Amino acid sequence: MPLASEKFRLIPEKTSLFLLVLKTNGKVLYYNNAFECFLSNIELSEESNIKNWIVDEDKSILQDVIQNLKLNKASQTVILRLWVSNGVLNYIKFDFSLAEGLIQATGMDITEESKEQQALCSLSKLTNTGAWFYDVEKKQLYWSTKCFTIHETTSDENITLERAFKFFKEDRRSTIKQHFDELLKLQQEYEYVEKIHTDKGNEKSIRVIAKPVVQNNKVVYVNGAIADVTEQQNYLEQLKKSEETKHLALKGIRSGLFDHNVSDSKIRYSNSFKKMLGLSLKHDYVTEDSFLERIHPDDLEEAIVRHHQNLQKDDKHYYNYYRIKHHNGEYRHYDVYGYKKLDASNNVTRIVGNLIDVQDKKEREQLITEQSGWLRAMINHGFDYAILLDTKGKILMADKNTVEIIKKDFNINPLVAPTLFIDVMPVNFKVPFAHEFNEALKGNVTKKQIERIADDGQMQWLQVSYAPICDQKKVVRSVLITFQNITDLKIAEYKIKEAHFKEQELSNLKSNLLSVFSHEIRTPLNGIITISKLLLDEHSMEERDKLVDYLDESKDRLLETLNNLSNYSEIETIQSTLKLEPTDINFEVESCFRNLKHQAQSKRLSYELHLSNTTPIAIIDKEVLSTALHNIIHNAIKYTEKGTIDIEVIDIAKKDLVHINIKDTGIGIDKKNLKKIFDPFVQESVGLSRKYEGTGIGLSLAKRFIEVLKGTITVKSHINKGTNFQIVIPKHL
Amino acid sequence: MKILYVEDNKINAVVMDKMLSKNACDVITVANASTALQEVSADSFDLILVDINLGINQMDGCELLKRFRLMDPLKTKPIYAVTAYALPGDEAHFLEKGFDQYFSKPVDFERLLSAIETIAE
Repeated sequence: MPLASEKFRLIPEKTSLFLLVLKTNGKVLYYNNAFECFLSNIELSEESNIKNWIVDEDKSILQDVIQNLKLNKASQTVILRLWVSNGVLNYIKFDFSLAEGLIQATGMDITEESKEQQALCSLSKLTNTGAWFYDVEKKQLYWSTKCFTIHETTSDENITLERAFKFFKEDRRSTIKQHFDELLKLQQEYEYVEKIHTDKGNEKSIRVIAKPVVQNNKVVYVNGAIADVTEQQNYLEQLKKSEETKHLALKGIRSGLFDHNVSDSKIRYSNSFKKMLGLSLKHDYVTEDSFLERIHPDDLEEAIVRHHQNLQKDDKHYYNYYRIKHHNGEYRHYDVYGYKKLDASNNVTRIVGNLIDVQDKKEREQLITEQSGWLRAMINHGFDYAILLDTKGKILMADKNTVEIIKKDFNINPLVAPTLFIDVMPVNFKVPFAHEFNEALKGNVTKKQIERIADDGQMQWLQVSYAPICDQKKVVRSVLITFQNITDLKIAEYKIKEAHFKEQELSNLKSNLLSVFSHEIRTPLNGIITISKLLLDEHSMEERDKLVDYLDESKDRLLETLNNLSNYSEIETIQSTLKLEPTDINFEVESCFRNLKHQAQSKRLSYELHLSNTTPIAIIDKEVLSTALHNIIHNAIKYTEKGTIDIEVIDIAKKDLVHINIKDTGIGIDKKNLKKIFDPFVQESVGLSRKYEGTGIGLSLAKRFIEVLKGTITVKSHINKGTNFQIVIPKHL
Repeated sequence: MKILYVEDNKINAVVMDKMLSKNACDVITVANASTALQEVSADSFDLILVDINLGINQMDGCELLKRFRLMDPLKTKPIYAVTAYALPGDEAHFLEKGFDQYFSKPVDFERLLSAIETIAE
């Protein structure tokens, strides 16, 4: 310190300013008493450097100052923060100058002022507040930096009152100007919140405060502040909105807020609810009793029971439901939700909650119950099987029968466990199902018949219908599949077809029968008539004899046809009037053989008979057998021009049968005609494809007669080699 | 007038032959279709009478007519059906098959003879 005193001629000690002499590297050569006091107990030493006391952040400022001084710059004024052992951060305003290679520093402690300023800065920052004032005399407006920041405009602009007003919304400007005019005239301070558009185009809400300074009863000066309250304002608006939402929501659900004071039996309701019920708005509350009157009498008893249960249970929640009478006399369903408030001894003192109108829900529920009832009825009684599927093919509902089948076959109850129909349907049903189901999803109704083997092994026909079930918007929500057992119907249909076919057959038969008989009669008749005409003019005896022979032959043929015809028409009668008696077949065959012998002999045929060695006796009708035999032997002779007719009787005693074989060496019958010879009338049809080749009706009659005797007749034949008829007669019918 | 008569019934063949011969016709009778086809290829006829039912296993009169019509000289020759098939509809049926005329048995000779006269003219 003495060193420094010598070097500096005038360093006043009695000042509150700090005086220091430093080397250009910051080493402290001298400081005055004031600074010594400031440093308190720190001793100056060789090592003392001002940098040791400056906070790190500000060290570079000092460095810059020294650099500038070295470059012959004038004195430099800066504020540096110093940290010394008293534990306080000090703001020192230094004035540095360079003289003779040493730095002179004059410092002033401005800690208190700085702190205030800092606090104001922080406050301004925190509250987004800017200050302004208006000089009425000069008509000049001044804005703090923060004002510019809030308006998001450049701070070097000269702000005017006009310009400031332009930030406000156009429709509000005149009002705001009016406020300002009134302030000047009436010396009224004001405060308002308005919206501005910043230079960056943002919308902000600002709070403006203005206060006049009056001198000689005249406003000379206006002090003011603005604050950015956008967030606050937004929050308020949201709050308002959500409040509105709540109101709307409450209105929407036709609900009533209530506050039930259990101790004094008074219930308070929201006004809207009171209006709805037609309660007086004059009174703040209704009594429990008058409220109970509004509950539907059918619901009252149970509602009270539930109310008391609610009061007693431990749970805080309250739940009840009943119908309430409205001002128009209509009852509507309400659900009541609330919270219970308990006192110290756990008694319920208040219930606060909400009454919610669930009338629509109840109505829908009832409709759904009704509809599902109808559907169930339809399913259980209208069809044999019925299944309701959702659009994914899951079974929603099924009739009892179907459920039983699925339970039995798959051990699943489709009404309990979610089940896809495709997983539980008969295998042969899967392919048509996919197609029909898709059609139904498109909204089309389809019907299909399927066949299946039922459990009893019988064929079953089902009519399957797929009906889409749509909602009000015509969107398919589910598909109803119904199965109707139409087996009886199908069988009836087949029977009708069969009957129709038989009728047709019968009609064909009748027409063929007529055609054959007509032909068989007209052929000999033609002979008879022609011969008769010839006889009239024939004088040669020889020729006449010939003609008479022809006439005889034609007559025989005509008679035979007529006999056959009558036999044919009498088959039914014969069957019921059979004269059954033990008959020697040998004897009957021999009789027939003899009756036709002359015919065979006239054609010079070898005509042979081989009877059985035994005496085969069968219980038959003689007439019937002999007619059949006659026709077959007659036929054999007719179609054989040369060779042998061989007739044989064989007793098959073991089987109680008799065989009669008639063999000829005639023209034979080709295969396609073999069937026809017994059934000349059952031709394909009368018409174009008909073949006009007759066999007569003798064989067919023979067959029918043998059948009357429970026998059979079979034929084997080779064209041009001969035919072999075999008759088998059972000895006992 | 040369006539071919196709008839399987022996008596009818004989008596018809007699009846037509008496009316100045030269009649050849054959009992089946194959003989008839041989005859027409060997000889020429002014008229052919055909029975329809020519017996079991045999070609019938309608089929025979078809064969006849395939033969050049017989394309436009008169061919008559003479048959015991005489139920309602039969006549129309045989005419449709291509027979020029239809005679049911027993034959109406006056009508047959007048038809023959028409051919002769």
